[in-house]
Amino acid sequence: MEKQMEDEMGKQMEEKRKIGIFTTLLSVVIAFAIVLVLFYGLNHLIMGMQGLPLNMDLTPAG
Amino acid sequence: MHGNLARMFTMSLLLTLLFLGITAPVQAADPGVGDIADRIAPVGRVQLTGQPPLEVESEAAAQEAEAAEPMAAPRPARSDYPDIGVSSRAIVWVLAQLHLFFGALVLAVPLFVLIIELVGLFTGDERYDDMAHEFMKISLTGFSITAIFGGSLALALFMLYPDFMAYMMRVFGAQWLVYAGLFFFESFFLYTYYYGWNAFRYGNLKWVHLSLGLMLNASGLTIMVLANSWATFMMAPSGVNEVGAVVGNIWEVMKGPLWNPINLHRFIANIAFGGAVVGAYAAFKFLSSSDPEKRAHYDWMGYTSNFIAILAFLPLPFAGYWLMAEIYAYSQQMGITAMGGILAWLFILQAVLIGTILLAGNFYLWAGMSRTDGSERYKWLVKFIALILVVTFLIWITPHTLMLSASEIAQLGGTHHSILGPLGIMPAKNIAVNLMLIVTFLSFQLYRRSDKVATVRWAPVGNALMVAIYVVAIANIIFLGVYYGYFTNTVYKVGSSVAQVASTLVVIISGIIIDALMFKNAKTLPSHWGRIPDRAQYALFALPIAFTWLMGLMGYVRSSVKTHWHVYTVMKDNSPDNFIPTIAYAGNMITLVTVLFLLCLLFMFWVANLSETRQVKPVAAGESA
Repeated sequence: MEKQMEDEMGKQMEEKRKIGIFTTLLSVVIAFAIVLVLFYGLNHLIMGMQGLPLNMDLTPAG
Repeated sequence: MHGNLARMFTMSLLLTLLFLGITAPVQAADPGVGDIADRIAPVGRVQLTGQPPLEVESEAAAQEAEAAEPMAAPRPARSDYPDIGVSSRAIVWVLAQLHLFFGALVLAVPLFVLIIELVGLFTGDERYDDMAHEFMKISLTGFSITAIFGGSLALALFMLYPDFMAYMMRVFGAQWLVYAGLFFFESFFLYTYYYGWNAFRYGNLKWVHLSLGLMLNASGLTIMVLANSWATFMMAPSGVNEVGAVVGNIWEVMKGPLWNPINLHRFIANIAFGGAVVGAYAAFKFLSSSDPEKRAHYDWMGYTSNFIAILAFLPLPFAGYWLMAEIYAYSQQMGITAMGGILAWLFILQAVLIGTILLAGNFYLWAGMSRTDGSERYKWLVKFIALILVVTFLIWITPHTLMLSASEIAQLGGTHHSILGPLGIMPAKNIAVNLMLIVTFLSFQLYRRSDKVATVRWAPVGNALMVAIYVVAIANIIFLGVYYGYFTNTVYKVGSSVAQVASTLVVIISGIIIDALMFKNAKTLPSHWGRIPDRAQYALFALPIAFTWLMGLMGYVRSSVKTHWHVYTVMKDNSPDNFIPTIAYAGNMITLVTVLFLLCLLFMFWVANLSETRQVKPVAAGESA
């Protein structure tokens, strides 16, 4: 009985750890995606403000 | 963006000027030529017996016509410059630079002292108040030294460059009196601020004291921007025509195209410089004390000074970039003289000095991490930061062309090395500078985090976001520099540098915001002030030395871009020194003023220390103790 409880707790801990890793990984992926989009937009904005438009692939459009 | 910034800055300066009420004296002190002519009868206008009557009407008309004709800038001959047997330029160079060093110091210290005093007021921690008072005590002697060098400089200029000074007097007119008048304001606020510190310490009186500090800074900054207008008028004259005759009012003369870039650059640089100098004082006191309590106090003071110096230093390259961009916009020839001709070599020295500052600043932060046990979490990152700093430093100091003999050029196949050549141009330098600033901010952020443990639930998300910002910003800076710098046209190359700066600023601003939110109500780990290796204090000595040398160097570059003009394109310099000297000569002069400044600084520290010393009353022979 005691061993069964220990196994159950171990499983739960393992599950939590997996969820923790998954959450962290997801946070990192989402954070990178958001930041990439922000910097992509920043490049367009700053270059556009100086009269130097860019194409979607960031090559000069002028 | 530059335009908006310039407008905002101009507006704030205008408000400062209006606040001090100096526009009225400018107008009042200029009654106009016609009024004086009406009041004073011309001497010698008498009719002699037997002579025809004088044609007063036509003479008056001629005088009026003459008055209406603006006077061109003088064209002095070589013989018009007094020869005292020593280079006039060298004398003025030393005096001007020493005046500027001390001026920068005494303008900067009250700025951050006021902020520290405010922090003390809001936190209720009297240690801040005491530290701010001590900072003021150190700089107090500096005000007198600044005035001594300023007076000596003025006398030297009037004696050695009389025509030039006469022209400057004519162009700026009553502004000179306003400038002199501001010293009365500054002295009044300085002495009441310093000596009233303990008298106005609590309650409403504290606000009186803070107001005195504010007015001290307002006077100091107005003095600075007025003096800046003379330097920028000499570089990029405005309010005068092509022969130097004044055609605009005083405001049009002052607000030349380089005025605000210089104002901003000097404002920021002065704070960084002031922080570095008082940091050296703290290091000196730390090393010379064996009392643990005093060591803890001066360790904290040194940390605060370094914090001020590095924080002000981070945006400084961007202000410098704006100044250079405006110089190029005003005169491409002037820009090329600075960054593409003989003076370009000095930018390599500049890179060495800035690299020294960043390495010393980072080293101090890493050494300071030993104050808390929580820093163990971040120490593994230090070696990577050091690696990036060293690599980018080496890229920054790589020259574009090399000084080679004919045989070496033949061996190399040209003056450009195939690998080092591409690293010698601006895109590579821009990447290096931005990465150095980013990793310096990372050191700073890690230091700030080392004695805290975040308690907010979203801390892992905040950390993930911060890591993403660092990684993407660094990748973006490298992409912008390499792609637009080497594979597109020049316009895109220059434009992309603004985006690089924006990327760096995003890291700094987002880092400050995320940390402020994430470490609100954080668990604080104990910090042991005074627990820092002695060698870290030498980094605090390195900072002011490098800053002083750097200011001397870049001040020389700024002044030399005028080449053989007193006032660029309108008044030629015809003195025996009207040429850009060799790099070696300039280097020696800059070193000389740096050493002289450091000696004066030691005197300043000694005087500050002297006030704490009390001689023990000698016991007369025969008297028992």
